[in-house]
Amino acid sequence: MESATVAVGHDHADHHHGPPEANESSRIDRQTLGILLFIVSEVMLFGAFFASYFFLRVVVDPSSWPPEPFELPKAVAGMNTAILISSSFTIHYALESIRRGNRAGLKLGLVATWLLGATFLFIQINEYVHLGFSARDLGFGSIFYCLTGLHGAHVFVGLMLLSFATIRAFRGHFGPAEKDHLGVEVPGIYWHFVDIMWIVVYVTVYIL
Amino acid sequence: MRLHEAAVFKWVVIVGAAGALVVAVTLLTRPLVGSLLGLAIVIAGCVYGYRWAAQKRREVGSKK
Repeated sequence: MESATVAVGHDHADHHHGPPEANESSRIDRQTLGILLFIVSEVMLFGAFFASYFFLRVVVDPSSWPPEPFELPKAVAGMNTAILISSSFTIHYALESIRRGNRAGLKLGLVATWLLGATFLFIQINEYVHLGFSARDLGFGSIFYCLTGLHGAHVFVGLMLLSFATIRAFRGHFGPAEKDHLGVEVPGIYWHFVDIMWIVVYVTVYIL
Repeated sequence: MRLHEAAVFKWVVIVGAAGALVVAVTLLTRPLVGSLLGLAIVIAGCVYGYRWAAQKRREVGSKK
């Protein structure tokens, strides 16, 4: 019995090279766990900035918000919000296309998403140039630039991820099978998260 | 369990619709009314999310 066990163990050792395989949960796969943990950490990061914002707005309690003479361009930011939300629809279209095996749709959706994201970022930078106040102007200026700038940095990272996905799409990567388009699906989830955060930032900072 | 893009896209639509409602109410009335509506929506969303997570936990537990 003991010699049989040793023989089986020896046989197994002959076939397995390299480090032992990573343990995998039967409840949740690695990709899902990774993106979930990442998004939760990002929510906490934004939460810290929102806590600062509400502290300045509610606890410090200036007589008016935004403090005089600051004014925020609600309409321009609203248009920018519409642009960013529409980019969620285009990336969803790209993914639905590749699920059906439509490569042209994938490329079109990715390019449209990239262009809409870049337009959003361009308008945001243009807004910064014409706002008339800087991050050094009172707590309001600081928290405004921190919150919108943090989000802008996330859009920039999203654009980088989309650039890689678009280049890969034009090089013939990705396929209809679930495991063959993870390179678009994971940036897509990130992009949706960035969109949701912007809706919260826009409503909180520009409207309320 | 997997997190699909389509499920997250659904949340973009839900949050977008809720945001549009808050913006409309705020512009039509006062920021305080919009803030209260926003708070009510966030609380409702948390309750829904908690129930959804509890249901998922039960599903995963029953599959074991």
